[in-house]
Amino acid sequence: MTTPLRRLIPLGLVLVAGVAAAPPASVHFTDSKLRNGLRVIISEDHAAPVYSIVVQYNVGSRDERKGRTGFAHLFEHMMFKGSENVGQNEHPYLIFMNGGSMNGTTNKDRTMYYETLPANQLDLGLFLESDRMKSLAITAENLDNQRNAVQEERRGGVDNQPYGRTFEALDEIAYDNFAYQHSVIGSMADLSAASVDDVAAFFRTYYAPNNAVIGIVGDVDTKTTLSKLEKFFGAVPRQPSPAAVDTTEGAQTEERRRTIDDRLARLPRLDMAYRIPPSASPDTDAIEVLATVLSGGRSSRFYESIVRQKQLSTGVSAFAEESRGPGLFKIIGTALPGKTLGDLEAAVDAEIERLKAEPVAGWEIEKARTSARRAFVSALGSSLSKAVQLSQDALYYDQPGRINTEEERMARVTAADVQRVARQYLVKTGRTVLQTMPKPSAPNGGQ
Amino acid sequence: MLPRRIAAAALAGGFGVFAITAPAAAQAPAQGGAPAPSTTRMVLKGRAPVSPDVLKVKLPRPQEADLANGLHLIVLEDRHLPQITFQIIIPGAGGYFDPPDQVGLASLTGQLMREGTTTRTSPQISEALETMSATLTVNSGMAAASASVAGSSLTENFEKLMDLAADVLLHPAFAPAEWERLRTRSRAGLVQNRSNPNFLAAEALNRAVFGVHPAGRISATAASLDAITPDALVTFHKTRYVPDHAAIAFAGDISLAEARKLLDAKFSGWTKAGVPKPAVTDPAPVGPARVFLVARPGSVQTTLSVGTQSMLRADPDYAALTVVNRVLGGTMGRLFRHLREEKGYTYSVGSFFSATQYRGGWTASTSVRTEVTEPALTDLLAEVAGLRDTPVPDAEFADVKRAIVGSFALALENPQQLLGYYVENWQYGLPSDYWDTYPARVMAVTPAQAQAAAQKYWAPGRLQIVAVGDAAKITDILKKKGDVEISDSDGNPVRQGSAARGFD
Repeated sequence: MTTPLRRLIPLGLVLVAGVAAAPPASVHFTDSKLRNGLRVIISEDHAAPVYSIVVQYNVGSRDERKGRTGFAHLFEHMMFKGSENVGQNEHPYLIFMNGGSMNGTTNKDRTMYYETLPANQLDLGLFLESDRMKSLAITAENLDNQRNAVQEERRGGVDNQPYGRTFEALDEIAYDNFAYQHSVIGSMADLSAASVDDVAAFFRTYYAPNNAVIGIVGDVDTKTTLSKLEKFFGAVPRQPSPAAVDTTEGAQTEERRRTIDDRLARLPRLDMAYRIPPSASPDTDAIEVLATVLSGGRSSRFYESIVRQKQLSTGVSAFAEESRGPGLFKIIGTALPGKTLGDLEAAVDAEIERLKAEPVAGWEIEKARTSARRAFVSALGSSLSKAVQLSQDALYYDQPGRINTEEERMARVTAADVQRVARQYLVKTGRTVLQTMPKPSAPNGGQ
Repeated sequence: MLPRRIAAAALAGGFGVFAITAPAAAQAPAQGGAPAPSTTRMVLKGRAPVSPDVLKVKLPRPQEADLANGLHLIVLEDRHLPQITFQIIIPGAGGYFDPPDQVGLASLTGQLMREGTTTRTSPQISEALETMSATLTVNSGMAAASASVAGSSLTENFEKLMDLAADVLLHPAFAPAEWERLRTRSRAGLVQNRSNPNFLAAEALNRAVFGVHPAGRISATAASLDAITPDALVTFHKTRYVPDHAAIAFAGDISLAEARKLLDAKFSGWTKAGVPKPAVTDPAPVGPARVFLVARPGSVQTTLSVGTQSMLRADPDYAALTVVNRVLGGTMGRLFRHLREEKGYTYSVGSFFSATQYRGGWTASTSVRTEVTEPALTDLLAEVAGLRDTPVPDAEFADVKRAIVGSFALALENPQQLLGYYVENWQYGLPSDYWDTYPARVMAVTPAQAQAAAQKYWAPGRLQIVAVGDAAKITDILKKKGDVEISDSDGNPVRQGSAARGFD
């Protein structure tokens, strides 16, 4: 059931002879459910005296309603403000003062909390997570205080940064459905409007055991951990399941094109977004290879052609973020001084057309495969990485073991697959093109 | 909470014999109703089940050897995962040694080494590395005394990675066409930096704290990019990338014997140059206290940095400054609890210090909305003053020391981090048992010693203040802290008389 990793990985490969790759190891885990519906994934790894706990709640900014953008993330901040048996800020204080680390993070699809602690503090992590799931302290004072912190987070990350507005605008134009259209950080006005009643209702609806998945990985005993989970979480009451959010998008039939001014930027930037299916789609792996071919490292086509040869940009990236709903394949590049966005866009388009016209080379496919293998091996070394992936894949795909199939899935992608998805999804009528132009404010320092 | 990023540890560690022992001095923070630390917005109910024990971690020791060409070899063998990382540290090849009119020379030399060798083009190197999913970088920090060549790969590809590393280190081509490409990209980088408030703050603070000493270098300039020639790059590489005083360190799926064998096979051409050990000097003492404003049009926040010089890495005060700095600006420290949690001025605030072969720097920094610039700066300085004026209460002090010592268990997951500890020993001449005795040294720091460190390093006459933001709104506020020197976001001085007019 749970074999320590050290026994799964062949040791002492003969280095100098350059022996073939080790057969893939796999992450062993248990997958169970408490009576209140809380799903629990546990994986033992006794390599270091450490464990990580991850709690994934099935709620993200896509679940927000109009007029309350940014709420899921604001709520995340409230989760550190205390509960029945835990004082204000006592949670982070106890974690850090006992040598651990922790944080929370919100995206469109989920809200995740995590701690890594020395192995002798298992009860501490379980207690802290269960007490706030059970009995969050919801007060106006806490809400106002964290509203300030979040608004400052927005200023620092968006309003005071060059291109800060760009990433928000791209999704707003590319999506038609409100669920994925608005940003996770939300608008200042909506953050100001959030009330204590909103917080209470959100907590009741979404922070229920049957709407969460817990991942625990590290120097723990599975049986003991399961009984502790029952003890700490068993009494948290189940709630009616939240209504499923409608994320469907109508078909896009023509290119969308917009230009925005940015008073903090110094160079023009090009952002493109092509519509792609949700990450559960069978095409996702081929799209991943496609992104690697276009912009994975300096051997990529964008780097070699646009950065190195044509010298139009310092770097052009292409990526598809994991998405439970309709996704976007994004291409982002900044023009070098003296170069135009028109030249940059033409160069990007030329590479995309080349992908559609000719199959990619064998080494480009190989590159994507080894990249997946390397990422897997790296993840094996981190209790937190494993706990995140196991729990998130359980939540998103109902496949906690997806981490073990990543390399094999990538190895199945062929040159023909990459060409097919390029032709199918990288079409001009399905894309949004956003240009960000520097527009300096009048100097505020005088002359 | 905090920066929204997950630390992705790259490697696993499976060593570490550990034992549960009673802690020497620290008690679990909430036990016995210990009084809460200095600011409000934190309530310790003391009901959470905290194990009073701190895991006493025994770090695995590396194996070391000295090679004939002067190279020192450090190997931290860890067989848990089939991957290996390495780094070569080359003293004398860092930006510290740039000629003053060619700042950036070391950094650009390092970058250009990766852009082609006498037998491989830049794209060939990229393709070879990336089809193995291996990494290889040459890094030379703008103010660093050393350069490093570093990389990692799966075990099965490590020999090929060493081939590439040796080629990049020993036979770079420095082709003129690649140099022109690199210079063009670097110029664009300089332009981009000017839009980043944190860069502007760091640039101004470094100048205030270090003056013209190389410790304050943060970026090349348009003029230095013009002044650097291909010949200068070739000469810098030839004279400075020598093994005489260098080290090579490995962590992961490799033994000392295997590492030696690889070095014999791949790096035999790296011969001793017979040069003396590169020497560094300390910056001139910091002070007096001054105030700087960088006018950044369009800012909706003020980026505040308060800084000064710190100490040498080998300074006996190192543990005391580590502890008191953590009380002030560490995770959940006083600055966080006060400026963020109590007052809501900021999303993020903290303090940091560096200590190397020459006297390093200390900085406390935050970004706040423009409207609260004055109280935020006042409160930040008050927290610093609080640590000078009053000893840290016992419970808070014990918690902070426990936090530092307790976190060693987490390092065991990451051989690369552990290797970093031992490279530090070598670089700064620390004793080989330094990290074994470090927890005891931290635990031995007293509140009086911490206060003495705060008084010494954070003396009011040493503290330099930098603000980046909307000059129309914050100039008068800053003037309350002293005479203000104003520059624009291109780094040019702004005449004071005109600073108050012509705002958008």
